[in-house]
Amino acid sequence: MAHEYIPIFIFLAVAGAFPIVTLIAAKLVRPESPFKEKLLPYECGIDPVSDARGRYTVRFYIVAILFVLFDVETVFLFPWAVRFRQLGMFGLAEMVVFLALLIVGYIWVWKKGALEWI
Amino acid sequence: MNGGFSEFFNRNDYFLITPAVLLALFGCGILLIDFLHDTRQKFMNALTALVGLSFVAYQLIRIQNQMDAVQMPELAGLNNSLLVDHFAIFFMLVCVAATFISVLISVRYMEIEHENHGEYYALMLFSLLGMYFMITGMDLVTLFIGLETMALSGYVLAGFLRGDKRSNEGAMKYFLLGAFSSGLLAFGFSLLYGISGSTNLQTIAQALGQRSSGDPLASLALLTTVTGLLFKVAAVPFHQWAPDAYEGAPTSITGFLSTGPKAAAFAFLMRILLVGLAPMRDSGWKPMLIAVAIVTMTVGNLAAVTQNNTKRLFAYSSISHVGYILLGLVAGNETGLKGIAVYILVYAFMNLGAFTVLVALRHGNVIGDEIEDLSGLFFRNPGAAVMMLIFLLSLAGIPPMAGFLGKYFIFLSLIETGHTGLAAFAVLYVAVSLYYYMRMTVMMFMREPVEREPLTLSPGIRIALGLTLAGTVIIGLYPEPIIQLATSAILR
Amino acid sequence: MDFFREHILSFTLFYPLVGVVLVLLPKKDEHVRWLANIWSFAGFLLSLPLVFWFDKNADGMQFQERVNWIPSIGATYHLGIDGISFLLIMLTTLLGFISILCSWSAITTRVKEYYAFFLLLQVGMLGVFMSLDFFLFYVFWEVMLVPMYFIIGIWGGPRKLYAAIKFFLYTLVGSVLMLLSILTLYYAYHTQFGQYTFDIIDLLRVNLPRHTQIWIFLGFFVGFAIKVPMFPFHTWLPDAHVEAPTAGSVILAGVLLKMGTYGFMRFALPLAPLGASDDRIVKLMVTLSLIGIVYGALVSLMQKDWKKLVAYSSVSHLGFCTLGIFAMNPNGLAGSLVQQINHGISTGALFLIVGIVYERRHTREISEYGGLSSIMPIYATLFMIVTMSSIGVPALNGFIGEFTILQGAFEANHLWAGIAVSGVVLGAAYMLWLYQRTMFGPLSNPKNQSLKDLNVRELAVLLPLIAWAFWIGLYPKPYFDILEKPVAKIVERVHPGYYAKAAAAEHATMEPQHPAQVASPPDASAEDHTAHAAAEAGAAK
Repeated sequence: MAHEYIPIFIFLAVAGAFPIVTLIAAKLVRPESPFKEKLLPYECGIDPVSDARGRYTVRFYIVAILFVLFDVETVFLFPWAVRFRQLGMFGLAEMVVFLALLIVGYIWVWKKGALEWI
Repeated sequence: MNGGFSEFFNRNDYFLITPAVLLALFGCGILLIDFLHDTRQKFMNALTALVGLSFVAYQLIRIQNQMDAVQMPELAGLNNSLLVDHFAIFFMLVCVAATFISVLISVRYMEIEHENHGEYYALMLFSLLGMYFMITGMDLVTLFIGLETMALSGYVLAGFLRGDKRSNEGAMKYFLLGAFSSGLLAFGFSLLYGISGSTNLQTIAQALGQRSSGDPLASLALLTTVTGLLFKVAAVPFHQWAPDAYEGAPTSITGFLSTGPKAAAFAFLMRILLVGLAPMRDSGWKPMLIAVAIVTMTVGNLAAVTQNNTKRLFAYSSISHVGYILLGLVAGNETGLKGIAVYILVYAFMNLGAFTVLVALRHGNVIGDEIEDLSGLFFRNPGAAVMMLIFLLSLAGIPPMAGFLGKYFIFLSLIETGHTGLAAFAVLYVAVSLYYYMRMTVMMFMREPVEREPLTLSPGIRIALGLTLAGTVIIGLYPEPIIQLATSAILR
Repeated sequence: MDFFREHILSFTLFYPLVGVVLVLLPKKDEHVRWLANIWSFAGFLLSLPLVFWFDKNADGMQFQERVNWIPSIGATYHLGIDGISFLLIMLTTLLGFISILCSWSAITTRVKEYYAFFLLLQVGMLGVFMSLDFFLFYVFWEVMLVPMYFIIGIWGGPRKLYAAIKFFLYTLVGSVLMLLSILTLYYAYHTQFGQYTFDIIDLLRVNLPRHTQIWIFLGFFVGFAIKVPMFPFHTWLPDAHVEAPTAGSVILAGVLLKMGTYGFMRFALPLAPLGASDDRIVKLMVTLSLIGIVYGALVSLMQKDWKKLVAYSSVSHLGFCTLGIFAMNPNGLAGSLVQQINHGISTGALFLIVGIVYERRHTREISEYGGLSSIMPIYATLFMIVTMSSIGVPALNGFIGEFTILQGAFEANHLWAGIAVSGVVLGAAYMLWLYQRTMFGPLSNPKNQSLKDLNVRELAVLLPLIAWAFWIGLYPKPYFDILEKPVAKIVERVHPGYYAKAAAAEHATMEPQHPAQVASPPDASAEDHTAHAAAEAGAAK
């Protein structure tokens, strides 16, 4: 019973050791010349820490959400495409229904003006 | 509906999901048709929703007739992930009725709020769609997806008044705690799946039956699942979201949330506890429910006494009603389950009736959710005040109103199963509840009105009042058909 | 006519309900008043045929009507009356009319609603006395709370809201606990006989152990004792009485309190006989009754408020009624019911009398009055008669009731009677002192000097009650005849073989050589005896 789990434990040990080993190795190897901008986390050039009241347009969020939605759609399309022959007409019909629902959403989003920037 | 498709699904499967298909079609339809109406024609959306709901009700009755015609107590579909029986039809019809009335009372209210968008009605239909799968589901995945569909629509509806801080706050709390409880529930479901290797409730019940009673994994699964469920029905100590969500939501939605989704959540709870977790009743969830029911009645009733906001008051009153309904599950015999069915049905009528009157108070700058807003209602609109009185008496459980009937069955079931102490405890809270309902009565009948002009009722509200009043009074005076309906819904 | 005769109870019961709708129709207050008065008087007339049709020799319930109502839970629409409910129904229809008549000038605001609530109240009260089905009974029992709540809460005095909700909550707490007792009996019947029924006559067949019966009795006890009210549960009564409008007080004292004692006689004793006759229970009940008698009287003695005095006197008088019930012998029970009628008459009249001066002066402080007999002679005379009736002077009704109860209590336990007698003495003290302070002495308060004596309407309100008081006082035999059978039934139920034993004891003293010769079933010779004694005593005066 227990031996089945041995690979998992090895995996855990390696996974745990990896960051420690690399960090220590890097520390030993790299030259050190820190300055402020270099120490900042990388975030598309935006200052990562700033006033929480700073605002930027809500449309970023809308675009992000829409992206996630239609991204998931593709995730569903992919396995269907792989098993297309086995699923046959039934699968096609189901996928049409699924897409139809999304298209209704798409039309709705479009008409609501959510796709227009300002 | 045949030929190439029958490899996976059969006719029966499609037949059983027609109510859900109808709801989806009408919901999407409203979303699209909404663009064709100008602002003054928005009531057409409500009309479309009402037509859709009527079709759904008709379809449910057709399914019931089909069941009777083939003399089957239940129809299973979609590889046993769906089970439609009299129980499901009964609860679904309650939900449809609650949604129907909520739509009726929304039209004028949302016009005054300038939020009369088509999405509002579409979301109500989508929520009902979720309820259908919550009620009929026999499979953890179906149940969970149904629950989330209902809940997500509910979060948006609760926050529909975008300009209102309280609405935003309430919706946010509702969402966060709802998501948290869904997480707990999903965790419990995953454990149940781990124990049984199946997502089917009946298979889970068999697997649980073979385990010893003190099994830690099964206990953990029970604990997380039941906690998640109790969050959904807003039982103490998992109730904190309810008062804020109820207060912030548009009044019509508060009425909707406290009836339709609640009925569905109870059907869901009963399915899981009485089918899936049935083997763990005596040592597992029954003691939990006793404790929860006691604190729920205590907190709900006592907290309601001090409220000055009617919507919060009704939130706490609805929490206390949950306590009574849970007692029916504690008893767990035929009378108790019948009691739950009757209770939920009459609660939908009387509570929505009360909310209809509150909605009618909305005009100009008056939101109508402070207890003072009711003052002198009798002088401004005697009919509305008398109806409100009837709803309040019914909520308190004074015969011959319908509310008494639900309590009657619950108390009887407790006595039948020997929980006399619990019954004595529960009946005493009836007096407490009467106190806070009567506070509103004092406002309506014994205070001078703040504003003199008579209160007019919109046609939607008139119809809604008529329906809820008929439900409250006729069921109270002649409950025989309803009792028989509930009996047939319970005996499986 | 036959149809009417068979359904007279339903007619009497629902007649006021039609009135509820009708009084809402007219536009003018004056029309509403006329309509309500005529309607309620006709309601009284409608119930009068019962007096002629009621058969005092018939066994069991009369004028029964039975229709299935909710078959699946075994609830029926089942009405019927025996001697006990017959007398209370007549009291209700008469007092119902009188209280509506006495509101003529007292109620000036929201007239329509007032009469509608009063007629609705009438339905509830009649329903309670007529129902032979527990479900139906419970519906009427609760229905009646709502109109009374509004009558106190809208047309009451300064602390009306407090009094109204206190009344409602107190009664509701009692009635929900009573509901548990009802459900326990109902379920016990189902386990023993395999079917659900709320029918009281069927439920008499249930056999339960003493222990369970004690709990059932206690449930009933809380429900009915709050309504009576018995000693520790009485605190709602003074508030409700003082704040209620006159008519509300009359109905409250005259009829509503009788529901509690009626409940004991009709339900608590026969349905839980082992519980009710349990030694501890009887001791508890009698102790509470005796405390009620003495405490009520003592508190009355020190009241400064006229109406509150009458209210507390109710506690004392109802103490007599419950004492009679828990003496559990024919004299006690029959006396108790007669005393209930008496209390309805005399306390009802006392509240009317307070109401009459209150309408003129708008104060109930006893110290504000004094010497009224010189300017209101008719009023003072009638007040004197009512006082005499209330304190139990022979030739008037109070004497008959109290005397019979004391006799019953004496048969049960000498000490009980001894303590109860002090209540009679104290009763005389507080009533006569009240009379002296208000009617006699100099007319010192200038505000009282222009008071008018009774008008025709006020006379019409009081005279029927006074006539009835004299009738019971001088010739009570019909009342005891009517009560004989139902009371015998209750006694047999609580003390099986009571009559046989009593008869045997009598034989043993008179004919010791034939102890086996035992008189069979309830022949209530002892009771006839009482009735005659009381009647003679009355006539002698």
